Amino acid sequence: MTDPSLMTVSGLRHDLRTPVNHIVGYAEMLLEELDGPPDAAPRRALQETLDAARDVLSIIDRDLSSARTGVSPRDLAGLYDSLREPQGRILRTLRDLLASGAGGGDGFREDIERIVRAAERLVEPEPPTRGDEADAPSPRAATAAGEAREAAQAAILVVDDVEDNRELLRRRLERQGYRVEQAEGGRAAIAAVTRQPFDLVLLDVMMPDVDGYEVLEQLKSAPATRDIPVIMISALDDMASVVRCIERGAEDYLPKPFDPTLLRARVSACLEKKRLRDQEKEYLAQVRRVIDAARAVEAGAYRPGGLAGLAERDDELGRLARVFDGMVLGVRAREERLRDRVRDLRAEIEAAGGSGKQNGTVIDGGNLQPGERFAERYEVRAVIGAGGMGSVYRARDCELDEEVAIKTLRRELVADETLIERFKQEIRLARKISHRNVVRTHDLGVWSGVHYLTMEYVEGMTVRDLIDSRGQLGVSASLAIGTQLAEALAVAHEQGVVHRDIKPQNLLLDADGVLKVMDFGVARLAEYQSTLTEAGLVVGTPAYMSPEQLLGESLDGRSDLYSAGVVLYECLTGCLPFEASSPVSLIAKLLNEQPRSPIDVNVDVPPALSGLIVELLAKKPGDRPASAQELAKRLREME
Amino acid sequence: MAKILLVEDNEMNRDMLSRRLARKGYEVAIAVDGREGVEKAKAGAYDLVLMDMSLPEIDGWEATRQLRAAAETSALPIIALTAHAMSGDRERALEAGCNDYDTKPIELDRLLSKIKALLPGAA
Repeated sequence: MTDPSLMTVSGLRHDLRTPVNHIVGYAEMLLEELDGPPDAAPRRALQETLDAARDVLSIIDRDLSSARTGVSPRDLAGLYDSLREPQGRILRTLRDLLASGAGGGDGFREDIERIVRAAERLVEPEPPTRGDEADAPSPRAATAAGEAREAAQAAILVVDDVEDNRELLRRRLERQGYRVEQAEGGRAAIAAVTRQPFDLVLLDVMMPDVDGYEVLEQLKSAPATRDIPVIMISALDDMASVVRCIERGAEDYLPKPFDPTLLRARVSACLEKKRLRDQEKEYLAQVRRVIDAARAVEAGAYRPGGLAGLAERDDELGRLARVFDGMVLGVRAREERLRDRVRDLRAEIEAAGGSGKQNGTVIDGGNLQPGERFAERYEVRAVIGAGGMGSVYRARDCELDEEVAIKTLRRELVADETLIERFKQEIRLARKISHRNVVRTHDLGVWSGVHYLTMEYVEGMTVRDLIDSRGQLGVSASLAIGTQLAEALAVAHEQGVVHRDIKPQNLLLDADGVLKVMDFGVARLAEYQSTLTEAGLVVGTPAYMSPEQLLGESLDGRSDLYSAGVVLYECLTGCLPFEASSPVSLIAKLLNEQPRSPIDVNVDVPPALSGLIVELLAKKPGDRPASAQELAKRLREME
Repeated sequence: MAKILLVEDNEMNRDMLSRRLARKGYEVAIAVDGREGVEKAKAGAYDLVLMDMSLPEIDGWEATRQLRAAAETSALPIIALTAHAMSGDRERALEAGCNDYDTKPIELDRLLSKIKALLPGAA
């Protein structure tokens, strides 16, 4: 018990003798049980089986005598080879017997099958040569053939410094249909795996140059070789090194001397695991393609059909790819429509006099003069607007060296400290809105008693200028304005900011047709003021105000939608939904009358768009589209 | 008719030996491991035990020692069966308290003569 090599010999002898004992025992028993003449087929077959089994026993006793202290792999291979001859005799005889249908009842056949199975366990049978045993393929043989087919492509690297060991493994594995390469040491093994891909490495632990641990560590640390399964080869008694290897990432181990059944089982299990892992990796790579495609869509670089191949898979991933591609196609179509609309809008802008230089021309009423230095930071360039709230200037921010717009606020508007505080609050909210269709608000400041706002400067014209210049706009250009306005409102409303003063004067268009909404948060100041002074409702023109705003009721984003409806109405028809000679009669109409449908004013307005505008102009917020998001969607999808 | 308890974990060996002994006119009971073997031997009235020596739970060596130690089975004839034709097994088996010893593969005639020699009424 203390000598491991001795134990190995006796263990091997035991393993080999057990099936032979079964063969002998059953054969003898059946002979006892059989009736009939001594030369009947079953009796002859069983006698032959017994003879062959006794040959097996004497081979085992000869090659694995109790006196032996160890078995070399070469000896073991020789032993297995010599066992195959009597094993083959048993299998042929009994399979023939089964095929002939001879013998007793079901019980007899069952017993014969048990002997066959015991004989198969003895040693891995020679693979049948082509055409051989074709008449009686056992289920097991069919499985083995399947395995061999699957194995046909698998490449295995055998690493061992002992040539006999390598040779033995090579012969066995090649017989099972694997492609085998050999390496006689650690260095050669590393060179081999870097040269070509392997599906499995059989790796000896003890080697003179670079040992198995080192090779294992190198294989498992490099990304290219990390996933190649490794089976360690070790002496039976060397459990410590087996544990060490498995801790370092080895998949399995094989004890020496090699047991053919164990070798076959472990190799095929390892390859199967690798195959599943490879499949999983391939799947994940395809998932990554979908993710990359999603990124490409975000970056605007995705080409529909870019997931070709993937979309043809008949699994969930394939379906995802198809749905994805379809969605992108839809988005593409909408984007193209929008691009066309913006192009038409640009044409209108150009026709109206280019990028709106007329805005930079003299406007009266500014407190600041061009060339003046303001707030020790800005150099005033030009007055670009004046209105109820104050004046707007184009200026250069000398600190950041960029163009900004400065809006100064009239003194009366900012006289009350508490109002200023509330206004600041509003501006803080508005500053959070970041969208290509919203003019960015930078700062609220006060200098020499003048309150002012700085914001992004947009070179261009207002929608007011455009309508005034063109009279009315085409459907396509109007849709470009409406869609961009709705998108800006959607983002603002999401942040909890209602504009309250959507009108063509507050909508800037740059030369590319990009619309920018300005003065988010500013309208609130005028509202406070009107409440404070009780000077009535009219601050600026009420034409764009929703009924609820005119009545001073609480309002939400749907009030902005009403105003957007008025803007669209005006774009398409060149006139307002309600027109009157005095503010008071205007307000009366606005609260009580239904406007003429845009289509009745301009027959070119598509019915769907006309209907949408009428919806926007509904007196009750609940009758309008529910959100700016919904409005944007409906405008985008309008043909 | 003599009653034999066969203690054997391997199903094929069990099936084979019990069938062959039954054909020879013995009544055969089965135990599949050492523990069950000891329990059945103590509980039933058997004339002889055939004990495989490599068994799960407790092995044949230990089972034999336990049977020898118990009053009701101290004299029960036991034949050890081993698969290892190791020199020394016979001595070990006798030392553990077995009355005789045989190796696998079973040669039925040889085993039968050993059984007969140990059964009551034998010369």
